[in-house]
Amino acid sequence: METKKSLFSRLPVVSQLKKSMGLQRGMLIAGIVMTAAFLLTAALAPLISPYGATQRFNETQAPPSSVHIWGTTAGGYDVFARTIWGTQTAVLVIVVAVALSIFIGVILGLLSGYIGGWLDRILVVVADAIYAFPTLLLAMVMSIAISQGRSNMWSGIFSAAISITVVFIPQYFRVIRAETIRLKAEPFVESAIVVGASSVRIMARHIYKNATRTLPLIFTLNASEAILTLAGLGFLGFGIEPSSAAEWGYDLNHAQTDAASGIWWTGVFPGAAIVLTVLGLTLLGESMNDLNDPRLRGRKRVGKKKNGPTKDEELVDA
Amino acid sequence: MVAVAGVSLLALTACTGPAGGGGSSQGGGAAGGPIVVGTTDKVTFLDPAGSYDNGSFMVMNQIYPFLLNSSPGSADPKPDMAVSASFTSPTEYTVKLKPGLKWANGTALDSKDVKFSFDRMLKINDANGPATLLGNLESVSAPDATTVVFKLKLGNDQTFPQVLTSPAAPIVDDTVFSPTKVTDDDTIIKGKSFAGQFSIDTYKKNELIAFKKNPSYQGLLGPAKSDSVTLKYYADSTNMKLDIQKGNIDVAWRSMTATDIDSLKSDKNVRVDIGPGGEIRYIVFNFDTMPFGAKTATPDAAKALAVRQAMADTIDRKAIADQVYKGTYLPLYSFVPQGFTGAIEPLKKDYGDGNGAPDLDKAKKVLSDAGVSGPVTLDLQYNPDHYGSSSGDEYAAIKSQLEASGLFKVNLQSTEWVSYSKQRTANGGAYPLYQLGWFPDYSDADNYLTPFFSKDNFLKNHYSNDAIQKLISEQLVTNDKAKRTSIIEQIQTDEAKDLSTLPLLQGAQVAVSNVKVNGTKDTLDASFKFRLGVLSK
Amino acid sequence: MTAMIDLPQAEPAAQAPERKSKAGGSLGKYLLVRFFLIFPTILILVTMVFFLMRVTGDPITAALGGRLAPDQLAQRIHEAGYDRPIFIQYFEYLGQIATGNFGRTISDNLAISDMLATYGTATLELAINSLIVALAIGIPFGMLAAYKRDKYQDAILRVLAISFYATPVFFAGLLLKLVFSIWLGWFPVSGRAGTSTEIAMASLAAPTGIYWLDALRSGNMNAFWDIAQHSVLPAVALGLLTAGIFLRLVRTNVIGTLSKDYVEAGRSRGVSEYRLLTKHAYKPALIPIITVMGLQIALLLGGAVLTETTFEWKGLGFQLAHYLTARDFVAVQGIVALLAVIVAITNFIVDVVAALIDPRVRY
Repeated sequence: METKKSLFSRLPVVSQLKKSMGLQRGMLIAGIVMTAAFLLTAALAPLISPYGATQRFNETQAPPSSVHIWGTTAGGYDVFARTIWGTQTAVLVIVVAVALSIFIGVILGLLSGYIGGWLDRILVVVADAIYAFPTLLLAMVMSIAISQGRSNMWSGIFSAAISITVVFIPQYFRVIRAETIRLKAEPFVESAIVVGASSVRIMARHIYKNATRTLPLIFTLNASEAILTLAGLGFLGFGIEPSSAAEWGYDLNHAQTDAASGIWWTGVFPGAAIVLTVLGLTLLGESMNDLNDPRLRGRKRVGKKKNGPTKDEELVDA
Repeated sequence: MVAVAGVSLLALTACTGPAGGGGSSQGGGAAGGPIVVGTTDKVTFLDPAGSYDNGSFMVMNQIYPFLLNSSPGSADPKPDMAVSASFTSPTEYTVKLKPGLKWANGTALDSKDVKFSFDRMLKINDANGPATLLGNLESVSAPDATTVVFKLKLGNDQTFPQVLTSPAAPIVDDTVFSPTKVTDDDTIIKGKSFAGQFSIDTYKKNELIAFKKNPSYQGLLGPAKSDSVTLKYYADSTNMKLDIQKGNIDVAWRSMTATDIDSLKSDKNVRVDIGPGGEIRYIVFNFDTMPFGAKTATPDAAKALAVRQAMADTIDRKAIADQVYKGTYLPLYSFVPQGFTGAIEPLKKDYGDGNGAPDLDKAKKVLSDAGVSGPVTLDLQYNPDHYGSSSGDEYAAIKSQLEASGLFKVNLQSTEWVSYSKQRTANGGAYPLYQLGWFPDYSDADNYLTPFFSKDNFLKNHYSNDAIQKLISEQLVTNDKAKRTSIIEQIQTDEAKDLSTLPLLQGAQVAVSNVKVNGTKDTLDASFKFRLGVLSK
Repeated sequence: MTAMIDLPQAEPAAQAPERKSKAGGSLGKYLLVRFFLIFPTILILVTMVFFLMRVTGDPITAALGGRLAPDQLAQRIHEAGYDRPIFIQYFEYLGQIATGNFGRTISDNLAISDMLATYGTATLELAINSLIVALAIGIPFGMLAAYKRDKYQDAILRVLAISFYATPVFFAGLLLKLVFSIWLGWFPVSGRAGTSTEIAMASLAAPTGIYWLDALRSGNMNAFWDIAQHSVLPAVALGLLTAGIFLRLVRTNVIGTLSKDYVEAGRSRGVSEYRLLTKHAYKPALIPIITVMGLQIALLLGGAVLTETTFEWKGLGFQLAHYLTARDFVAVQGIVALLAVIVAITNFIVDVVAALIDPRVRY
């Protein structure tokens, strides 16, 4: 299945784009476009934004005008500049959170599944317990532990990212562990162990293959969660302060009272930025997930032609 | 978003449920029925010994009797449950009670209850309680049923009458309260330990309190103007704002954002009343760690003073009050806020252009005269969650004002409240310059002086000035009112030269009422007691 | 803020801790082991929260940090015993729990059991209401999306489902309030009931704490109507989040069963797609949905924090945020312990159901 394709066409997004068709392709492309726009905005923020993220103006809550195309906030910040610079903060949180949780979750899942025994039991119970832990509490505690509660840019990013990480590890852990245990019992792995071949390598390869099927969705889930948790932290006063960096959640929280007083421009733009970013990421992740799952992959003609069972499917139904 | 003007018509349709049930069950807003007051404050304990916060004290003011109190429109302590109160010797303050007073549960309210209340306050000395306010009280005795004698450590304490109106001084029933432990809310409600203008009829902690008029109250405030008042607790001020606009509540009291109030001012159906406020906001300088402070690499008291003075010259308080707070805070040019006996505005003429506005040339001159060259780096700390969510905007404005002068480079840093409180004085001054705010315990100018500028002040900012210390101790025991006032003025004038703190803003009391409600304005005075008894509709 | 999207392949087999029992371990033994795992789960959570809360500071500084000098604060902290070695405090706390004494909240002096009963029932009511909304929207539209798979209806429904999730609850809540309460005037702005209903509910003799139930029991139809009106917006705000999850879950599972052999067989015999959907595909698809619904309880509780604050719904989530700010250890420990119990028991039930359905899933 994966022998003759070029390296390029095997890259996750590209290969899925090729597999897709019709509406599914439309949703995937929409996701790609929105996510790309998000990443580009983050990279080009200094060029796009007319002002700095923390530049303050004396006109507070000014409606949109030619000077401030999306108006200003109660604190005298330019809404357009804040929204553009906010992408950078969001990207940073996502990168830190995802990198950490994948790394730790996968390692623990492999260890737990492979070694088994008491280690496995303990890790499972702990993972279950953490899964039930209120994220917000964790986020607060992390922000205090990391920075003594200082809400500057990096401590805000790390406290949001780490609290998400801790809560998401159990999910990666569960998926990887289940996969490892199942594979360990597979005849070809058992026989590999018997003949002394590197069972770890075999398993790693299969796990990688299956993980790449589930990871896109978990990844986007994590990414969206990171953005929303950062906003929640801002809600409680543990987020990133406006004088340190631009953060959508903070601006949106502070726009609530504006919205109730008819000042719509402070909330709509950061709110739309959050919704569009999460929407784009989730569309991307979900489409990729569907395309990787043979049961959900788009059918050419309903009921007429069924895709032959693939290796993936065998693994799923085993 | 959606235009909110003219929503009251729509609100009426919302109230008409089937079978006419909506009107009564929506509650409050419709004519008749109890007056509904909304607040975002919280009750911690109904027991005075266990709480030291605005939300709890507000409720206590409605239900507990006080020996002294102040009538609406004034902050001067006058006899409430008492017929007279005065110093009978320098260290003895004697209060005579009205005869025949009763608690709502029928038991007698006499000097035993008074002695009991103060004794337990001192004995329990709860970590979260206000017992520290009774620091000057040595003992209480009750020679007969209507006489109470307070024995003081320091004679002629001029703040003591005010202390008797403070959170440390509500009188409680000795048959209901525990003498040694903080008593829980249920016991208090069941025991009906009420003798203020109101009793509590229904109590759901931090959700709602239904007050009923106490017909046997015969104190200073007079009978309550309405039979029942319901206090409704909000978590989010935006909800409270929407409810007062829709007519679901009659009065909104504390705390709404500047944006809310600004938009309510243009709503025909509600009235915004503004009274003097006791809250102040200021910057503290740590004399050891501020630029050129005693423990820095380049200690120089004169240069440090120049830095403080140049900051005072540069900051534009009016711009902050208008831009960030839309007039719900006012510029503060002294250490004692306006409205208190003895308050003057020395910073107005000493700094800036002499009229309250900034003056950059003056700031430059102060710094160059002291030999400070180049921009001074200020590490300024503030807290984003304890003093309202606009602190971030306030300090961003201060930073941009200071930096625009070219004289300062400001590193702004914010920290969550509990860490902030621990850090501000850690290691002799982890925070060289930092934000604090203050609500008075009682309405006396001294409450803005002793805690801040005496040698052992709670700021622990290593500031001390013997001359000011002497004046502070002197005013505390000066019986002659005029003389005391002039000493208080002197302290402010002298302190304005030292600037161990930099006063910025004074809060206003803001209450929003439905136009049908009368009396709200009467209670917005310098006693900072919101008396529900003045409301009627 | 909690995960609002189900994991891919959220079938019972993937969710439960699984292990192929080569010896064919008995169901009874598995259930017993699984049952006793509830206790360490709770212990771990309570321990975590105990130590984490101690790291974040103490309630006295939280309340009085702006009024007292550091030495006065230290004195009070000492008197309250918060400066003793943390392990002594921990074992003291465990001892109290073991005797069923959860203490009283530090910041507002409520017995923990009362606090949990009062606010827990409010959260339960909100959870039930929003679950109804979520099911009412998620199941029919999920089936529609599966049936109209890859057509424009499917795309619209799925984009909507994601949009619900992508909107922060407090923002969605605000929009709902502005449109339906302020603009259209259909529903009240916030709260669980109007003031007079609240008073009526508070004066009932033996309330269940679930308002609509209490109103029905006392035959107070005005109050019931009032409560129903107040329930709509919060239930919709929180329910939409979960509805998105259900929609996707139903869609995925129905599509899965639609492609199963027996459905294919029916299809080849000429049974209509609609009939296949309603008669054959939907029941098997429900099993994983029920399982995941159980797992959603924990997530629902998390989502409740912001919903409750936005709508003045005085429940556990709302109180948790408040007690956290006040550093009220005792209260936070109490709430987390209750959450732990709920989640542990739900997980237990889910695992039991999974084990009954699929014998491979056993220890």
